[in-house]
Amino acid sequence: MTGPLTNVSGSGHLRLLIIEDVPSDAEIEIAELRHKGFEVAADVVDSEDSVRERLAHTKYDAILADYSLPSFRGMETIGILRQLNLDTPMILVTGALSSETAVECLKQGATDYVLKDHLARLPVAVRRALDETRLRQERARAQQQLAEKVEELARSNCDLEQFAYVASHDLQEPLRMVAAYTQLLAERYRGKLDETADRYIGYAVEGATRMQGLLEDLLAFSRVGRNGDSHVLIDLNVVVEEAIKNLTIALRDQGVIVTRNPLPTIHADHFQLVQLFQNLIANAVKFRGKVIPRISISAERDGEDWAFSVSDNGIGIAPEHKDLIFKIFQRLHTRAEYPGNGVGLAICKKIVEHHGGRIWVESELGRGSTFRFTFPAAAADRADKKEQAHELYAQNSAGR
Amino acid sequence: MTANSSVDILLVEDNPDDLELTLHALRREHLANNIFTVRDGEEAIDFLFCSGNFKDRSFDHPPRVVLLDLKLPKLNGLEVLKRLKDDPRTRSVPVVILTSSKEESDLVASYNLGANSYVQKPVDFDRFRDIVKNTGLYWMVTNQRPLANPAQAAKAAGKP
Repeated sequence: MTGPLTNVSGSGHLRLLIIEDVPSDAEIEIAELRHKGFEVAADVVDSEDSVRERLAHTKYDAILADYSLPSFRGMETIGILRQLNLDTPMILVTGALSSETAVECLKQGATDYVLKDHLARLPVAVRRALDETRLRQERARAQQQLAEKVEELARSNCDLEQFAYVASHDLQEPLRMVAAYTQLLAERYRGKLDETADRYIGYAVEGATRMQGLLEDLLAFSRVGRNGDSHVLIDLNVVVEEAIKNLTIALRDQGVIVTRNPLPTIHADHFQLVQLFQNLIANAVKFRGKVIPRISISAERDGEDWAFSVSDNGIGIAPEHKDLIFKIFQRLHTRAEYPGNGVGLAICKKIVEHHGGRIWVESELGRGSTFRFTFPAAAADRADKKEQAHELYAQNSAGR
Repeated sequence: MTANSSVDILLVEDNPDDLELTLHALRREHLANNIFTVRDGEEAIDFLFCSGNFKDRSFDHPPRVVLLDLKLPKLNGLEVLKRLKDDPRTRSVPVVILTSSKEESDLVASYNLGANSYVQKPVDFDRFRDIVKNTGLYWMVTNQRPLANPAQAAKAAGKP
């Protein structure tokens, strides 16, 4: 055995409750433990009432219980421990015990048993019981901490979504006032102000209008997963057709050629998936090169996942920007070059991750881009669980 | 404009700046003559149900349209809408939701409760004016309504 035995309980002392009606037996047990280096402080009791009384008021590291006392059976201590919600280890120390009875006692919750004529084993048994208890308590504490962290995370996520919603919802109102009254001002005092004033008014209105665009995009971003998803079996061929239909004008005006291989049917939120493909296709059209834009969409099974790709022959992305483009409000170009707020791909990422997948881009500057993303083939189960966890959290919060 | 004469438009809006803008837009189209404004949901309910400060009003002369904001003090717009559409005496009064929210859940809730139209107020003032003009003209000029309150007419005809 290694390590200082005196330190097993963390306090330097071993606080024992000995349930025993023969005082000399208790003394021998204590002596045996002291002999092996334990610093023992023990209370000796011999009735149910005194066991209850002691356990209710004192915190013991371990209990040594005789199997049968005149007025009390040692195993009844287990019931008392449970009532008091204690996980103190209990070792039976007994004169004789059949192996059937011993097994039965262990099943009921005794940590170990030691025969009185083999008391040399007692220190080992105590040591092991203390170690096991400490490990169990540490594990319980770690689990508790993990559960707290998970709840904290869920709460902070909820708060964040709520914040984005409130911000974009409630900020629109004062913004409208700024824009409207500035325009009204411009109208009322037209000709009475100089050119600079007119220009400034133009800037103010432009700023307010742009901010509304940002707020609407923020709202769209925060909306992913906020209104509860409906995960159903959807045919992605239909989804992509719908996305293409929504983009008809842009695709026709620019002569875009979209091809797709047969796509699978998966469990997902229909609206979100249309948005995902629509954003990716629109992105490919927006960042087109000088040639006619060609976009191809395909899917293949990759183990547990479906792996999708949306490829284009557009301007491409420099390697150092491959992660940046998925961040909200991140743009690589000026507004004059390419309009937009930098929300489209952030929404794509949120949708994919919300379904338990990953998204990334493979590209070289000037050589087109391929956006790849995965969806678990069994996305439905995971999404359901997430929803349940969310509901559970909502119930818990509501109960507080 | 007093509450007892005939009211064409009931405007429910708590924000004075916003109220002024809407009135401005309606005035330009000469649609603001018979307009009455209330500032919160409870006042809107009192007006429409001829109770409280409006107990001298009559159900026989409902407004031709209610322009209803969703965010209102005391009683929110959806609650006002619900009470209006739940009651046979007020069910036929057209309600146009006029709000800055384009939130899908607000749209769905409004239509489910029986809103007749849902209009988002745009940031751009010129567009806002167009929208108020179109809305005003539609409900004042284009839209036809029964001569008498349908609930009263039904009672008069002996129907339940």
